[in-house]
Amino acid sequence: MEGLFYNVKYGYIEGIVRGYRNALLTSQNYSNLTQCETIDDVKLQLSPAYGDFLSSLPPNPSTSALANKTTEKLVAEFRYLQANATGSLSKFMEYLTYGYMIDNVALLITGTLHERDTRELLERCHPLGWFETMPVLCVATNIEELYNSVLIETPLAPYFKGSLSHQDLDELNIEIIRNTLYKNYLEDFHNWVNTQPDIAGTPTADVMTEVLEFEADRRSINITLNSFGTELSKADRKKLYPNFGSLYPEGTTMLSRADDVEGVRIAVESVADYKTFFDQTGLSGGGSGGVGNMSGGAGGESRSLEDLFYQKEMEISKLAFTRQFTHAIVYAWVKLREQEIRNITWIAECIAQNQKERIGNFISVF
Amino acid sequence: MSGSGAREAVFPTRQSLGLMKTKLKGAQTGHDLLKRKSEALTKRFREITRRIDEAKRKMGRVMQIAAFSLAEVTYAVGGDIGYQIQESAKQARFRVRTKQENVSGVFLPQFESYTAESNNDFALTGLGKGGQQVQRCRETYARAVETLVELASLQTAFVILDEVIKVVNRRVNAIEHVIIPRTENTIKYINSELDELDREEFYRLKKVSGKKQRDAAESELERANEKASASKDQAEEEAADAGDSQDLLGDKDNEDVIF
Amino acid sequence: MSLTYGLGGSTAALGVVGLYMLFNGEGEAFNVGQFLESVNPYTWATLGIAMCIGLSVVGSAWGIFTTGASIVGGGVKAPRIRTKNLISIIFCEVVAIYGVIMAIIFSSKLAFVEAEVQHTPKNYFTGFALFWAGITVGMCNLICGVSVGINGSSAALADAADPSLFVKILVIEIFSSILGLFGLIIGLLVQSNAPEFE
Repeated sequence: MEGLFYNVKYGYIEGIVRGYRNALLTSQNYSNLTQCETIDDVKLQLSPAYGDFLSSLPPNPSTSALANKTTEKLVAEFRYLQANATGSLSKFMEYLTYGYMIDNVALLITGTLHERDTRELLERCHPLGWFETMPVLCVATNIEELYNSVLIETPLAPYFKGSLSHQDLDELNIEIIRNTLYKNYLEDFHNWVNTQPDIAGTPTADVMTEVLEFEADRRSINITLNSFGTELSKADRKKLYPNFGSLYPEGTTMLSRADDVEGVRIAVESVADYKTFFDQTGLSGGGSGGVGNMSGGAGGESRSLEDLFYQKEMEISKLAFTRQFTHAIVYAWVKLREQEIRNITWIAECIAQNQKERIGNFISVF
Repeated sequence: MSGSGAREAVFPTRQSLGLMKTKLKGAQTGHDLLKRKSEALTKRFREITRRIDEAKRKMGRVMQIAAFSLAEVTYAVGGDIGYQIQESAKQARFRVRTKQENVSGVFLPQFESYTAESNNDFALTGLGKGGQQVQRCRETYARAVETLVELASLQTAFVILDEVIKVVNRRVNAIEHVIIPRTENTIKYINSELDELDREEFYRLKKVSGKKQRDAAESELERANEKASASKDQAEEEAADAGDSQDLLGDKDNEDVIF
Repeated sequence: MSLTYGLGGSTAALGVVGLYMLFNGEGEAFNVGQFLESVNPYTWATLGIAMCIGLSVVGSAWGIFTTGASIVGGGVKAPRIRTKNLISIIFCEVVAIYGVIMAIIFSSKLAFVEAEVQHTPKNYFTGFALFWAGITVGMCNLICGVSVGINGSSAALADAADPSLFVKILVIEIFSSILGLFGLIIGLLVQSNAPEFE
């Protein structure tokens, strides 16, 4: 049914997003990129896709400058879409920015806690998570003021309310705050796509549920794996798991009890995909395979868990484009684009540091 | 030969010869000791140079890996975490203490790194995404800093040793090429002067004794002459005495006899 | 959503009216046969014509906006699709043309007849035939237009992504555009047996 009315409001945006998706780098482009000898070559190879944005870079730019410029392009395109979006799509795109907003607010909280000049921090904020009232947050000098202005000025207020008080901002580790917010955000987003009358029951809800459930599972697994050996208690850890996803509720309960990688493996065994991931990384055998991405300079050949998660995310995003008349392609496009920026940075970094043997570790799905 | 080369301004006396000989002996002992010290230091120095070379190569490798692991973090976290890391670090986890090592009387500072296991300020960074990479990157950088500390300690030792070896070598050279030759020269000079004096004295003595002998011979001759004339006189006297006996205690002066 | 409300509302209203009449002893007034007979055949005929052209145009318009929005969007990044994909628009337009043709054919059956002789079985036949032929053509064209529209929108996006896909999807689009033709043929057959009003 969505085919009947979707294009009335969103057909144009969908067409454009698909156009953007077609401009993503393909494996052909990537193999050209990996042949490059210098950053300038990379720049040259990227010029069809990124043209104007890279032209202002000086010769032999740093990789971070390259990443900044490519992100700039993503932001510019996103802003254009947002300006053209109406109805539920505009709300949907707002939801997309909340994730970045959480990062930005966490940054500002860190700055305020350490009594830095938060105005300097504005430049470091992710442009996608920029909201108009953000400079207002910089006025706050202590954490209570900041908390109040966050509640008043930002769309994130519902995520703070009920789970965090201003004392919490002072006492809890910033990472816990960030993850609590993110958990609330994911739950809210999931709830929204499944209850909003425009969206519930459409392919958008289908795809987004899958994407968000995957994201929730990934966060749960990552938080569990990363919390081993830290002071994060099991009860606190359980609070950071989103309350949905294919692991919820049995899997997350088991995750919250897990003491080591083996425990995590048992917890996720019910989901075939994650079981395969664990098998592939060699974690299930109790081996020394790296949990982290690319096993940190040790030069391991097998792919790491996080690589596989990224790979899976990209697959889901790619498949989202097989559905027409859905908002999910915007989400998928942003994710694919982010991965592309990461890939470019990675390749540029490999070239700059002359580590050619690892250059193929990027994830390309097209 | 005693005039060539520098020498100390001393009076060529036997006392100063004794002094100089002691001095020469002292200088030689000192030279031996310093030479040995310099050799020990040089050995150490070579070792340090070798280790610096190794450490520098190692640093190159480790820093490369570390920089690369940072790239991995950027890849995994998908953004800049620098600020957050900066702000969440409250206490140094990686610390350096110094101790001193004594190499042939030279105190070399040595830096020793250790990690305070108690505080791990950003253990939770990247909790939701890329935390493993962050931790791994931290470890890699800790290794890199370790290498840097090692290198720093080696470099300091290198500089200090370099200085000390220069000083010691200068002293060795000074003793070997200046003090010892000079002292030897002085000794030679004193010796030659003393010899000269001896010879002079000898000659003088010779001269004196020659004169003495000549004088003695002369006086002998004179005496013999006198004796002969006296006996002739006596004979005449006796002959005259027979005629005119002379008063022995008369007014006739006796001739002085000088001896 | 609005469709469900509309359907439910009208069903409920009809049900209420029907039950009201039934319980007030006027049940026999709810007489479908009498209703059909008492309505003027002209009403049926013109309603059929109106439905034919109206539904066709709605279907065509629906298809065009569905396709058009996608072509416009896809054309931003791949301007080459804009001429090729006019075919999809034309397919949608054809649906309206079917409706116009049928409406013209139907309207040729109309002729003035004195009021006394209007209610002849022959005229009833013509009226019903035109009405149902019109409904057939109209509905077929509406569905066909929507179907072509959605297909056309996919075709535009697919073409933008990969030019080689265009012909393949065009084949599918042709199949859906044939659906309108089926309605047209049946409409033609139904009305061909109906004589002019006389």
